[in-house]
Amino acid sequence: MGSESQPVVDASVHVFFANDADLRGYLHEPFKSRGYPDVDVAWFAPPDGVRYAPGTEAEAETTGRAFGGAVSTVKGHPGSDPELVGRQLFEERGVDVAVLHPMSNAGILPDWHLGSAIFAGYNRMLVERWLDSGTYADRFRGTIRVNPNDIDGAVREINRWKDHPRVVQIGLPMQTQHPYGRPYFRPLWRAAVEAGLPVAVHIEMGVGITHPPTPSGITRTFSHLTAYQPMTFVWHLLNMIAEGVFEEFPELRIVWADGAADMLTPFIWRMDSFGRPHLEQTPWAPKIPSAYLAEHVYFVHGALDGPGADAEFADEWLRMTGKEDHLLFGSSYPDWQMHSPDDLPRAWTPEQREKVLWRNAARLYGLETPVPASA
Amino acid sequence: MTIEMQRPKTLSTETTEVRVVDSDIHPTPKRGELTPFLPAKFRSLFENRATGAGSPVYYDAPDFAHSFAMRTDSFPADGNFAGSDPDLMFRQVVMEAGCDVLILGPLNGGGQTEEEHHAVTQATNAWQDACWLDSEHNWHQRYRGSIVAAMEHPEAAAREIEHWAGHPCMSQVLIGAELRPAWGDPQYDPVWEAATRNGLPVACHLGRGQHNELPMSPVGFMTYNHDLMVSYSMLAANQVMSLVFDGVFDRFPDLQIVFIEHAFNWLLPLMWRMDAVHAKRGPENGLKRKPSEYVKDHIWCTTQPLDMPEDKLEFTRALEWMEADKLLLFSSDYPHWTFDDPQWVRKHLPLHMQDKIMYQNALEVFKNVPSTVPALPGQKRPL
Amino acid sequence: MATVDEIAPGEHKVVPIGRWGVGVYNVDGRFYAIANYCPHEGGPLCSGRTHGLTVVDPERPGGAAESRAGEFIYCPWHQWGFELATGTTAVKPEWSIRTYPVRVQGSDVIVTA
Repeated sequence: MGSESQPVVDASVHVFFANDADLRGYLHEPFKSRGYPDVDVAWFAPPDGVRYAPGTEAEAETTGRAFGGAVSTVKGHPGSDPELVGRQLFEERGVDVAVLHPMSNAGILPDWHLGSAIFAGYNRMLVERWLDSGTYADRFRGTIRVNPNDIDGAVREINRWKDHPRVVQIGLPMQTQHPYGRPYFRPLWRAAVEAGLPVAVHIEMGVGITHPPTPSGITRTFSHLTAYQPMTFVWHLLNMIAEGVFEEFPELRIVWADGAADMLTPFIWRMDSFGRPHLEQTPWAPKIPSAYLAEHVYFVHGALDGPGADAEFADEWLRMTGKEDHLLFGSSYPDWQMHSPDDLPRAWTPEQREKVLWRNAARLYGLETPVPASA
Repeated sequence: MTIEMQRPKTLSTETTEVRVVDSDIHPTPKRGELTPFLPAKFRSLFENRATGAGSPVYYDAPDFAHSFAMRTDSFPADGNFAGSDPDLMFRQVVMEAGCDVLILGPLNGGGQTEEEHHAVTQATNAWQDACWLDSEHNWHQRYRGSIVAAMEHPEAAAREIEHWAGHPCMSQVLIGAELRPAWGDPQYDPVWEAATRNGLPVACHLGRGQHNELPMSPVGFMTYNHDLMVSYSMLAANQVMSLVFDGVFDRFPDLQIVFIEHAFNWLLPLMWRMDAVHAKRGPENGLKRKPSEYVKDHIWCTTQPLDMPEDKLEFTRALEWMEADKLLLFSSDYPHWTFDDPQWVRKHLPLHMQDKIMYQNALEVFKNVPSTVPALPGQKRPL
Repeated sequence: MATVDEIAPGEHKVVPIGRWGVGVYNVDGRFYAIANYCPHEGGPLCSGRTHGLTVVDPERPGGAAESRAGEFIYCPWHQWGFELATGTTAVKPEWSIRTYPVRVQGSDVIVTA
C-alpha cells in the first residue's frame, strides 16, 4: 500500500455519522424524533459479523442505547472521523484525492419528507465536517445526496450545494420504484447538468421500500446478494438509453458506484444487436446504444470486478466496450470489500492503470492533476 | 427459392450424420387442437376465459401488428399461427435451413393456479406425442419433444416427468423462467430429482409471466420491448447464481440445466464475479468447488440470440475466455422473429468450437438424440 | 422486366435475376430495385413489409410519427429496415443491401443488373 508511483484518486470512500444520535443532531423536529432504520441492519448482513475493514472504527467513544439493546459504550462508526479517514487514506494507503459518498438509507424510506430531511442533514454534515474543516479538507471531494422520491426537493438540494468548490457530484440510490429512464426523473438530470455535476448511483444501505433485489425474489445467501446487487445498474442504464436520456441531456454523466462494469460489455453487445430493429420504437434515442456510453457512463472499479488480478487478458478485456475510459478506481473504504491499487489486474498496461487510478476521475470531476503523494 | 417437399412413402434407408441440433424451436397448436388433451374439468373453463378475449401483448416486438413477433414467412397458408404446421416447420428448418434434429419447445401458457398450470403441461405433452412426435408427423424422425413441467406444482411436475421419461422422442424437461423464488429454493428439488433420475436435462425458457413475475426488475418495469428483452438475461444470471450458491449442483451432481434464449455473453463476467465473491466468502455457502466450475459442468446456454460487437474478434476472444465449447448449444428459435440461421451462427464461431456447439454438445446433453438420421435428398447442409 | 401497370404504387414484384431474385418496387410512381436477400442472416427480404421511418414529433400524441411512408423495406425475419432508394440505413450505413438501377422506358420497367 502507498507504493503507487503515480497519483491515486479514490472515487469511492463511504462516509457515515458516528452514530444515530450524531445524525439526529443534524435533524430538526419533527424529523429528529422520527423512527427510521440504521444503515447497518441484521437483514442480509455478512454472516461472519464483519461489516467493515478492521481498524476503521472512529476512536471517539460514545455511550448510548442501541435499538433494543442495553446501554453500552461504543466507538464511532467506521468512516465517520475525518481525521482518521484522512490519515488512513492519504498517509497510509497512498491516496491523493478521495471522493466521499455519504452512506444512508434515506432514499428508500416510504415517507419522502423524512428522507429529504435526513439527506439535508447528511449534506450539511459532509460539507461542515469533511469539506470545510479538518486537516485533510483540501484532499476530500463530496457527493451531495438527494432524494429521487422528492424531485422538487432534490432539485432544491442540488441548487443549494452546487457552487461549493469541493462538491463534485450528486448521489442517488440504486434502488428505485422505477428505472431512471422514466420521464419523472428528468428534472433531476436537468439540475445535475445545469450544475455541471455528474450523478453517482449507489446501493442504499439499511432496509426500506425496495422491490426484491432480483427478478426472482430475494436471495438465500449473502454471497449471492453481494455479487448480484451491483449489477442492478443494467436495468437503469438500458432504460436510460432507450428512453433517450443521454440524447436529451448530452452533458449528463452517470457513475455506477457499485461497480460491475464487466457486465457493460455483454449487455451493450446485446442491446446493440437487438437495437437495430427496435430503434424504430424509440426515435428519441436514434443512435446505436453503444454510442451513448462515451463521456456519459462511468463505473467505480471495486473488489469483485474484472477477470481477476492474474488474468493474462485483463488488458484486452478492459479495452472492450471502451471500459478503460469508463472506470474509476474506488476502494469502498471502510467496507469489508475494501481493496487497493495492489489488487488491480497485473496485465493492465501502464496507460490503463493510469486511466483507472486517476486520469478518468480527474477528467470526470475536473480535478487538477493530483500531485503524487510521494513527491 | 422454396424446396418442394413431397412426403415420401418410405424413408430413405441411407443415413446421414447429424451436423446441426436445434435446441430451441417452437411448435404451437392449431386453433382448438390442444383442447381435447386438457383434463375434462378445465376444457370449458379455459374456453370460457378465451371467449371474447383479445391480444394480451404489452411489450411488443417491432411491427407487431403485422409480424406478431414471428418470422412473417412462417405462417402456414391455412390461417393458423406460425409454428402450427409440422410440414412447414420441416420444410423451413430441416430442408431449407439444414437443422438435422429439432428439440421442440412448446410454450403453451394459460394456467392461473398451480393445478391449472399443471393441467396445461399435461395437455401439451399429450398433444406433442399425438400431433408432432407420432409416426405420421415425425415420419422423418427429426423431431424430439420436451416434457413440459409446471414448477408451480413441483410434486405434480415430478410425476409428469416420470410419466413421459421413457418416451423415445422426449429429450428434455422444459420449465418457464419467471416463477419466484429462484431455482435454488429446495421446493423445486422434486423436479431436479425426477429429471436426473431419468437422465433428462432441464431446459428453462423465457415466456413472460404476470405482475412481479413478468419479470419485474429490482427497479421496476422497463419501458420498451428493447430494454425488457435485453435485460431478460439478468433473470438468467440470477438463476445461475441461485443454482450455484444455493447448492443445487451439490444436491444433484448429475443435473444439467439449459438456459434457452437468455443470451450467454454475460456468463463470462458472471463467472468471474461469482468466483471473486466465493474467494472472499466461500465457506459460508458450503460449496465444494469454485462457482465457475459448476457452471462449466452443469449449465448450458443456447446460442440464439447471438449478440456480437462490431469487432468480431472481441466476440471470438470472449468465447475463448469463457470456454464456450463447454457452454453452448446451437438454437434457431424458429418461428420467432429472432430466428438465427445455422449457417450464419456456425460461421461466427471459432473453427475449433463449431462442431461442439452446432451438434456434439447436444448429442452429449440429450441422451436420445441420435448421431445419424435417415438421409433426406435435397436437404441443405450448412457449412 | 415488368410493365409499369404490373406494379401499382405501393406494390412490388420479384423478378428472377441472380441467385435470390430482385424485387422491383413502385413507391408513388418512382421505381426501385433491390436484391431479395438480407445481408444480416440471409432472410428473403422482399417478403417483408414496406413502411416509413419513425421520427420524433412532439406535436403528435405519443411524441412520434411516421415519415416517408413506404420508402423502406423491413426484413421479414429480424425487421431490419433499408431505404429502397439507396439500400442503406441511418442507424448503420455500413449495413446495406444491394440495389439496382431502374428506369422506365415507355410502359416498361427496366432493371440493369
